[in-house]
Amino acid sequence: MIAFISSQAGFLVLLSVFAVGAIGSLVFRNHDTWANVWSSFFALFGSLVGIIFSLLMLIQGREMSFSLFQTSFVFLQFSLRIDMLSAFFIFAISLVGFFCSLYGFGYVKHYYGKYSIGVLGFLYHILLGSLLLVVTTSNALFFLIAWETMSIASYFLVVYDRRDASNVKAGFLYLIMTYVGTAFIIAFFLMAYKYTGSFQFDVIKLHHALIPQMIQNAMFACALIGFGTKAGIIPFHIWLPAAHPAAPSHVSAMMSGVMIKTGIYMMIRLFLDVLAPVPLWWGEVVLVIGMVSSILGVLYALTEHDIKRLLAYHSIENIGIILLGIGSSITFYALDMKSLALLGLIAGLFHTINHALFKSLLFLGAGSVIDQMHTKNMEEYGGLIRYMPQTALFFLIGSMAISALPPFNGFFSEWLTFQSLFQGIATLSFSLQFIFVLAAGSLAFTGGLALTCFVKAFAGIFLARPRSKEVMHVKESVLSMRLAMGGLAFLSILFGLFAGFVTETIAFVGQRLDIFHNVKVFVSVSSMQTLQLTDGFALVSAPAIFSFLAIILFGVFLLVRFGINSTQKISFGDTWDCGTHLDTRMEITTTGFARSIILVFKNVLKPSIQQTVKYHDAKSRYIPKSRTVTMSVGNIYLTHFYQPLQKMIDEASLRSKTIQGGNINMYISYIFLALILSLFVVL
Amino acid sequence: MSILFLQFLVDVIFLTLVVMHLTKKNFVAVVAFGVQSFVLALLFFSSFLETGNASILLMVLFTFVIKVVLAPMFFFRLIRKNNLSFSVNTYLNMPITLILIAVLTFMAHSNKFLPLTHIVPEHQVLLSLTLSSIFIALFLIVNRKEALSQILSILSLENSIVVFIIFAGLEQSPNLQIGILFNIFVWIMIATVFVSMIYKHFRSHDVTTMKNLTD
Repeated sequence: MIAFISSQAGFLVLLSVFAVGAIGSLVFRNHDTWANVWSSFFALFGSLVGIIFSLLMLIQGREMSFSLFQTSFVFLQFSLRIDMLSAFFIFAISLVGFFCSLYGFGYVKHYYGKYSIGVLGFLYHILLGSLLLVVTTSNALFFLIAWETMSIASYFLVVYDRRDASNVKAGFLYLIMTYVGTAFIIAFFLMAYKYTGSFQFDVIKLHHALIPQMIQNAMFACALIGFGTKAGIIPFHIWLPAAHPAAPSHVSAMMSGVMIKTGIYMMIRLFLDVLAPVPLWWGEVVLVIGMVSSILGVLYALTEHDIKRLLAYHSIENIGIILLGIGSSITFYALDMKSLALLGLIAGLFHTINHALFKSLLFLGAGSVIDQMHTKNMEEYGGLIRYMPQTALFFLIGSMAISALPPFNGFFSEWLTFQSLFQGIATLSFSLQFIFVLAAGSLAFTGGLALTCFVKAFAGIFLARPRSKEVMHVKESVLSMRLAMGGLAFLSILFGLFAGFVTETIAFVGQRLDIFHNVKVFVSVSSMQTLQLTDGFALVSAPAIFSFLAIILFGVFLLVRFGINSTQKISFGDTWDCGTHLDTRMEITTTGFARSIILVFKNVLKPSIQQTVKYHDAKSRYIPKSRTVTMSVGNIYLTHFYQPLQKMIDEASLRSKTIQGGNINMYISYIFLALILSLFVVL
Repeated sequence: MSILFLQFLVDVIFLTLVVMHLTKKNFVAVVAFGVQSFVLALLFFSSFLETGNASILLMVLFTFVIKVVLAPMFFFRLIRKNNLSFSVNTYLNMPITLILIAVLTFMAHSNKFLPLTHIVPEHQVLLSLTLSSIFIALFLIVNRKEALSQILSILSLENSIVVFIIFAGLEQSPNLQIGILFNIFVWIMIATVFVSMIYKHFRSHDVTTMKNLTD
């Protein structure tokens, strides 16, 4: 059985499960309950097979290459190659897919009778299947088919709730940005084909030295824009805060948790495998993009009061953190510092899996809240911990993990990223040191702001008093949703507690890349799960931290239980309110909480504060009835980059319109000229 | 069949295209097309003489019936029915038209197009001439304003491409070519009906009036 699952046939079965799930969901499109059961069962089963398959691949260290079927086309081969890097990403996709599918079983019930559950199931399975194909294909054209399938499926999932006009608009934006990205990806592969004569990744890898350096640089730019758009790097991120909130929550979790990571996967595949070794400045550019994305991502998250948009901006921030690891890896490798390059890659991959876990957990938590509250506006929440205690606990764990607090998983991947950057500061020349200092500073800064942001988010959603009447009707999520969140929360702790083991596994994945073959890992793991750098610069022990915190907590518990409470009598009474009635107006809002930080960065964020005052008497403006302060942040990318670009395209389009005069002869003459020109170019 | 005779046949095709460019009478243009198609049938017949393949003889028969007999008949009827004795003006005047024909012919014979015309080295002259016929046929489509002239131009382009294929050794199976001929026959019927409808609507065959076609 194990041998079968970890074979080529096992992977084909895995894809088939999703295909059956998709087709079956469509068959039951008119029966919501059956469609949900069918879709959830096959998604869970397929994800479980995916987890087992990838784990077996990682344990056995096996790699496989095969074709789905042969075609008579020279260019298009349906070939797959599953190496350790692919297996790692299959694991991440399957793991998140499993919990999202479990969550979806309970979550999609509120769509019953409103939209077709069968269609949702169909698209969801297509997304899962295409995600697996994206990380396993070894032919550029086949990859593009998988990539487009993934994009189209996710687009339809974004616009699934099509009665909301903003969702349709978000989907449209996502579609445009996707195709802009894909255009650059196609350009990348066409350039690779021109000089290597193949669309097969292994052939491109073998002959990439034939590609002139200038062309390679152009390819780098194309890959960075193409895959960066999908990953959500700044300034190509504008689709992400719009599209992720629009999709159903378990789909948002999939998109944010693993779909955007396909961009990261391809960057690693291209820059550290297919085109390696790459020039030094590529690494520097990736580092700078990582810095900018992480800082701006978290700053924009701070300004948000839409819970899902806040999480979407944090995805941008975390993609930036991942890119800091990968950027340092590319830089170190270009300088022939292979052990440190491997350390950077380990940090990047570790944060990739961690982010997949805690971000999907947070999206699922947000989905549970939205499902009950019917709004994404955090200003209308408050006090939900009383009504949704388990969801609050899971959201808290996710918040602590994303804020990189020990002993959760986010802390250890960020610790490794820090170590990678510190090594750069310690060993490189001044100009490079400067970039690494900035990168380390931005990472520290990002960590602090992320913590602030999640204090705001958690407190605004779950603590204090309810800010709207809707809160009174809230109930805890159904069992399947809680199980999914609980599972992810447990994994967030587990991946932190066993960070050493995870690091070793990822190191093994990294070492199986050709460029890191026989390269010594710069971080060692003791039997007590202590992570230690080879040069002894730093060490961290997850079990020690965990034990320390457990002892502290236990001590506090004992102190409260037997020390304070045994001698003090507890009396309940109203809070002293200075003679006024305490209500929710006296609570700080999420906007108010973030206001001071937003104003510190007003030159970057360009906030606008609008005050609305209502008076008791319209003629007499002495006694105000209410004051409302609305704080919003301008979209500088839209106003300074995309809108001028759109204007330029519009003007160019209007000018080019003159060639469309309605004369058939003129059109044929264009064809004639194009033919002559093509012949001159080709011959 | 000797190369000289083949070259003569290709020259005839080339000249028919030049005539189609120069003539002001639609009747002459249709006759020129008929001659061109007859030459094509002769080329197929020479192919039959070399191979002895019965299917090719069938193809010769089809070519003759459709392109040399039926198509001109359709066009003559169209000319009579709609008083199309004289064609409408061209976009370019006669001297510029002749200059462009010369340029296109020169271009087709240039070294730049050697990869195309050198597919079969012994047919290089024939292929160069056929390639210039293709270019001139395309130019004829662009230059003529009248619908009937454009139909004739498209058919001439198809004839030139077929001749090029014959000399480049890229011939497909006779059955496929018979299928293409049938396709062309259907297209001729549809095109003539369409031209009649345009004339009824606009009282003109000038294709520039078609831009007035709106919902």
